[in-house]
Amino acid sequence: MNKILLVAKRDYLQMVRSKAYVLGLILLPLLFGGGFLAVVLSSKSNVAHQQRVAVIDRTGVSAAAIIQAGQQANRKAAATAPLAAPVPRLVFEEVKPDADQPAQLLALCDRIRAGDLFLVIDIAPDALQPPKDSKRELVRYYTSSGGLVDPLSLWLPGVVNDGLHRVRLAQLGVDPSRIPNVLGNVALVSMKLVDKDPATGRIMQGEKKNQLQSGAVAFFLVFLLIMIAIFGSAPNLGAVAEDKMQRVFEMLLSSASPFELMMGKVLAAVGASLTSSIVYIIAGLLVLASMAMFGLAPLNLIPWFFVYLIGDVIMLSAVGVALGSACSTPQDAQHLAFILILPIMVPMFMLTPVMQAPNGGLALVMSFIPPFTPVLMLLRQALPGGVPWWQPWLGLLGVIAYALASVWAAARIFRIGILSQGKTPKFAELAQWVLRA
Amino acid sequence: MSAVEISQVTKTFDAVTAVNQLSLAVPEGSVYGFIGPNGSGKSTTMRMITNIIHPDSGTIRVFGHERSRTQPGGIGYLPEERGVYRKMRVGELLKFHAELRGGRDVMPEVIAWLERLGLAQRAGDKVETLSKGMSQKVQFIATVIPEPKLLILDEPFSGLDPVSADSLRGAILEMRKRGCTVILSTHDMNVAESLCDSILMIFRGKKVLDGTLASIQSGYGSDTIRIELEGGASHLGDLPGIEQIKDLGQLQELRMSPGCDSQQVLRALASRARVTSFSVVKPSLHDIFVRIAGPQSEEEVPVE
Repeated sequence: MNKILLVAKRDYLQMVRSKAYVLGLILLPLLFGGGFLAVVLSSKSNVAHQQRVAVIDRTGVSAAAIIQAGQQANRKAAATAPLAAPVPRLVFEEVKPDADQPAQLLALCDRIRAGDLFLVIDIAPDALQPPKDSKRELVRYYTSSGGLVDPLSLWLPGVVNDGLHRVRLAQLGVDPSRIPNVLGNVALVSMKLVDKDPATGRIMQGEKKNQLQSGAVAFFLVFLLIMIAIFGSAPNLGAVAEDKMQRVFEMLLSSASPFELMMGKVLAAVGASLTSSIVYIIAGLLVLASMAMFGLAPLNLIPWFFVYLIGDVIMLSAVGVALGSACSTPQDAQHLAFILILPIMVPMFMLTPVMQAPNGGLALVMSFIPPFTPVLMLLRQALPGGVPWWQPWLGLLGVIAYALASVWAAARIFRIGILSQGKTPKFAELAQWVLRA
Repeated sequence: MSAVEISQVTKTFDAVTAVNQLSLAVPEGSVYGFIGPNGSGKSTTMRMITNIIHPDSGTIRVFGHERSRTQPGGIGYLPEERGVYRKMRVGELLKFHAELRGGRDVMPEVIAWLERLGLAQRAGDKVETLSKGMSQKVQFIATVIPEPKLLILDEPFSGLDPVSADSLRGAILEMRKRGCTVILSTHDMNVAESLCDSILMIFRGKKVLDGTLASIQSGYGSDTIRIELEGGASHLGDLPGIEQIKDLGQLQELRMSPGCDSQQVLRALASRARVTSFSVVKPSLHDIFVRIAGPQSEEEVPVE
């Protein structure tokens, strides 16, 4: 054990003193912060400008109501918009329908192209009749903005329908002063599940979910786990390959066994990962505290974060050490880096489906596959709703078993790999090394 | 007891037999020299003793214990290629090697070794900044500082200047004095003659010489005449009883054919030119090496 710690100490110090480590430690938050800054800056460029909206009302009576609903919605959105993403002020104009409909639409669309108009809403003459054919679109809108997700689809249907509802109610003889009450919306809130305290038996009321904040915290934690695990494990691959090529192991083997050398390297990777994650977590908590948002800190998840990080780094760095020992050239090490980070890249691609349905079948199954458990189980735990208490523990058992198996197999490859020369073995040969007595 | 005992060991790499039915015994507390041309199997044999590679057949015992695949270690090994962490500082590196083996306070010993080999001023420098000879000395210290009972040095003198070579030679003898058994390989026959208690020559994977210098030389008899003639080698044509003439410039070496009388050679020489020096000597190790491994011996290899 003493020798493992000696090797770990040497490798740890070499790793954390290296320029690559220090540079990575600084660059990672810049990547985070830089992305956030880019969002803020791009939003600032839209600040405070007006957007003109033309309404062609072919019903003859709806324009005023729709414009009123639009202005109300615009004022409300502006009041609640975050500072980083201000809402532009909408200026509505009513356009009388022209006999030459296509020519009028072309002229309006040309104004959109010229940047004079933002949006044209074209309301069909029978829009006030209750639609018998629900598939028939009675309102068309034209705009040049948009992308994969049309932002107008989030608010425009509500505004237009609100206006049409007002007109219909007025036509039915409802007192116009009572219409806002009839159409008034009630607020809905998403709650966490009601639970029973296992100690006291008291029923605990569910808390309000804050989807956006919870999602952001979950994403931040998982992203940190992925980056630090890669950042801590990947250097082992190249370092072992280099030590092997320089015959360092041949000298060390007179003093320590291959297993001791390998475990020392794995522990050094764990140490380097813990160092950087502690730096980031403390920095993150300080930032939250300084912004009076300490309540957002997922304190209950931080122990799990570290447990999963240690598990992930042991699994990855054991494989890294084994692959490094099989390399014969620095190029081999570069080629094998992809295989090393594959177990953490797969869950990265699963983040979106798991965030959409954290307790769905796919998320459940994937989060119990040991190499994916650290990332996906942590994500599920961090998302609103959480997971049943036993799932992280069962997942952890899998991670421990898998990490032990990785270390065992890696040790068997390592003891042969570090002394083998010549061509780099194929995967079938590596498997033979593992199974050889 | 023998420190190392190798019995009928064979090792092949694909179609090449690197070591073929090799047997040897290294006496405990001795300096044992491996000589032989490049590619003859010296390094392979050393790497088998250190358990870095494993023989295809035969047994290797170190201090009476058979080497097994699961227990490498216990031997100080200096590989021919340089095997030290180049980014570490000299002092740190040596401390690491010493602690890994002993886990005790080793700095006084590290400093003593650095002073002995003239590296005390470089203790704070990174290994990568040292010259080849200096890093070789650092590597030597890293090998001996764990105080191994068996020291295996693959070409320890290659690339060293005469002063460094002398200090390394002194260090090796010091290790022997402390009871350490030393196996070293070298291409320098003077080193082998002057430093080694016993010498083993491997040629094409087979043992061709094994024993003390005296016993090896006695196997060849006093068949060599070293002469200095006025007029040099020009008078040596068709000399009766001589099968090989080697002109070394200022002096010449003659090898007598079996049954030849050196006095007859002296008389023949005296009749041709003025002889200023004439001595009958045993062949040098260099000479024996060349006789075995030289181009003329390609056809016939003496095997014990």
